[in-house]
Amino acid sequence: MVFSSYIFLFYFLPLVLLIYYALPWLIRSLGKSEDILSRSRNGFLLVMSYVFYGWWNPWFILLMLLVTTVNYLCGKMMAAPGASPRRRFVGVTLAVAISLGTLGFFKYFMFFQTNLNQMLSWVGVEGLPVLQIILPMGISFYTFHALSYSIDVFRRQAPPVRSFADFACYISLYPQLVAGPIIRYNTVADQLVQRTHTWDKFASGVSLFILGLSKKVLLANPIGGIADAAFNAHSLQASDAWFGVTAYAFQIYFDFSGYSDMAVGLGRMIGFEFMKNFDSPYLADGITDFWRRWHISLSTFLRDYLYIPLGGNRKGPRRTYLNLTIVMLLGGLWHGANWTFIAWGAYHGLLLAFERYLGKESIYHRLPRPGRIGITFVLILFSWVLFRSPTLGDAGHYLGGMLGLVGGDGHPVLVAAQLYGRGQWILMALGAGILLSPFRAHDWSRTVTWPKALALVPALVLAVMAMCSQAFNPFLYFQF
Amino acid sequence: MRRPRIVDVVVTVGFVLALCSAGAIQTFIELCRGQRLQALDIFRQKPSAANVRAYEKNLEDFSWVSQKLRHRMQYLQYVMLNDAGEKALPGLDGWMFYKPGVEYLVAGGRAITKAKVGPDPLAAIAEFQDELALRGIRLLVVPVPNKESVYPEKLTSRAANLHGIRSGQTSDLLDRLSLAGVETVDLFAEFAQAKQRQTNPADGPLYLVQDSHWSPSGVAVAARAVVSRLLNRGWIGLGSVSYDTKLAPVQRIGDVLRMLQVPEIEQTASPESISCLQVIHPDSGMPYRDDPESEILVIGDSFLRIYETDEPESAGLIAHLAKELKRPLTSLVSDGGASTLVRQELYRRPALLKNKRVVIWEFVERDIEFGAEGWQIIPLPPVPSGTVEKSSGENGP
Repeated sequence: MVFSSYIFLFYFLPLVLLIYYALPWLIRSLGKSEDILSRSRNGFLLVMSYVFYGWWNPWFILLMLLVTTVNYLCGKMMAAPGASPRRRFVGVTLAVAISLGTLGFFKYFMFFQTNLNQMLSWVGVEGLPVLQIILPMGISFYTFHALSYSIDVFRRQAPPVRSFADFACYISLYPQLVAGPIIRYNTVADQLVQRTHTWDKFASGVSLFILGLSKKVLLANPIGGIADAAFNAHSLQASDAWFGVTAYAFQIYFDFSGYSDMAVGLGRMIGFEFMKNFDSPYLADGITDFWRRWHISLSTFLRDYLYIPLGGNRKGPRRTYLNLTIVMLLGGLWHGANWTFIAWGAYHGLLLAFERYLGKESIYHRLPRPGRIGITFVLILFSWVLFRSPTLGDAGHYLGGMLGLVGGDGHPVLVAAQLYGRGQWILMALGAGILLSPFRAHDWSRTVTWPKALALVPALVLAVMAMCSQAFNPFLYFQF
Repeated sequence: MRRPRIVDVVVTVGFVLALCSAGAIQTFIELCRGQRLQALDIFRQKPSAANVRAYEKNLEDFSWVSQKLRHRMQYLQYVMLNDAGEKALPGLDGWMFYKPGVEYLVAGGRAITKAKVGPDPLAAIAEFQDELALRGIRLLVVPVPNKESVYPEKLTSRAANLHGIRSGQTSDLLDRLSLAGVETVDLFAEFAQAKQRQTNPADGPLYLVQDSHWSPSGVAVAARAVVSRLLNRGWIGLGSVSYDTKLAPVQRIGDVLRMLQVPEIEQTASPESISCLQVIHPDSGMPYRDDPESEILVIGDSFLRIYETDEPESAGLIAHLAKELKRPLTSLVSDGGASTLVRQELYRRPALLKNKRVVIWEFVERDIEFGAEGWQIIPLPPVPSGTVEKSSGENGP
């Protein structure tokens, strides 16, 4: 199910909210304790989250259940009274191996087989038939959620979960299930047991949800049409290629941050507080700064669960550069089984390593801030070409277009009709205005005031109208 | 406990009520109409991925709220952003273009949003020609240029100096057809010449302004080109029926405008005035009619249908081919289905090939990539009993 869909907005969400908030009355009328209320609410959220997830394909639920069960049992093994260090190590190793093994099989096996066959063909050996595997939605996200639990329990940074239902609820919680933010267990462990439900928290959730929905359907989807036109074009003039990749940069930001806003907003509506996932990333004045602002939940996850265990910056400069590059390479691979994502990760890793070499400064750090922001944005645009292109060849073709190396045969002029209409200019200007403004949806929505409430009404109406008029348009990060 | 602020309560309650409204309204409407509650359909079927998708789609498509909001938003987008939605692309001077046609031209064969349709058109066309040849029937292939191929300057001002564009993919297919010995009519060249010859604005463009199809002028150019090729190749001679024509003006809201499915736009748009030439029988004055016994079969898509079975009737390509050839034809039309569907229909109607010496196969350029059902190889129907197959050399050049 997609947040920006008719069924989610007008059937699933009201049903969940009404029953969720009706549960206390039911529990009290049955004379049960407050502890039962918390458990029943989590149990209800678990059931509805499984419905939400099973909506894509009911069979995917079994896989999520497997990952959940393995990590729960490993957590119990590690947290058992008197568990030896060896037992704890075996527990975390099993959890990591099975979780990553599952992710590896479903996400990377086809990629591995295809590349193996390619290499075999170079030496004249016929390849094996490629096993066709469907990628379950959100597997990268819930695997990371599960891993964070096992590792946090192993490190004694979080208490073991009180029940399987609570743990399954944490793994499957519908707001953040399929595209994050990546919620670490130790940040929600207490909330799973006890969380507050207040009018102001709910209202702030509503406002953040509406802002996220508006970003998605009013900006990301139509701007995505501009990016699609450019990236699908056979040949492009340089200006069109730059315009197209800028549109993609806007699209992926509004799409993903819109999703994150909706996820955090939905979480607030049911009493959870999730971390902020974006912080005006296109105002970053260097690549290091960019990664403090873009997909924060992933970058901090990789830092805490990969970069630091690899040695972080504790083993000398060279090892630091290597660690940064490895982390970003794996971060790229996490996004998808494609050489384009690996190249994207490598590009960012090298840029980060270079900035680290310069003392966490960019080479252009002496420029005025607008200049630093501008150059960083251009560096990011090159990386989005890798991210958006289906193959490295396509990425090279597009980059060639940006550099004016792809010749025109008459057809590039027609791309203009799809790129430079009145609507496209308005949307791009609006997008740029929002991106360059100090507006932060996450912070803006903290407290709802009357002027804000009045501003949310047309935003919701327009967003719902646009949602009803658009074709099915899932979030970009669903594919990961 | 802190007392809740009114604004928080209003936002919360207002939001939840808004969320509940669509389902409540739909339920109320369905109960009033005595219909079954659509929302409960989910419990009436197996929860498979396909059923769930269908349920979700139906719920949205048939929702009263969704229907009311959808076209209002599309109208708003059209007015404010000049955005004509998924299928249409506004050009200059009121011209409207069919978006998949533009995408075909711009993408030039690269994978685009729609799935590619599969088998190579050349294989299907060559196989069709070979099978026809076994029965002594000639094939003439007539790819019709997309509107934007002929009028790129009406799509964007950047193309002001271009008077025609040919997609690399189209050129490639035409070249390969030629190498494979398939006879084709190059309407790209014909239309380019016709545009250059048009000095009188009253002649009107070769394509309609609001529609994806050609105008009566375009029909006339195409008819003359096809007939000229048939006569030059000696595949068929002129007949004996001297058809006449009469002026038949029609008013038409273009199909591209109608694709928007926004009543407000259709209501405000002025219909395009089109001066058609209806082909009529010289003696009776009755409009032209097909003859199933004709030696020529024309198959194709909506480019054959427009003006022919649409208003004013008997003024489309089929009638004008008949007029130029001085003989009636047989025809088979499948809207949007010239790549495969029309041959599937031909397979089901073997009588259409009776007495035939020539088949003219028209399809629009964008179908090379987007043809419905792709380019499947469809066998010819079995020869009807009592008909003797001719050898392939019987009508040799």
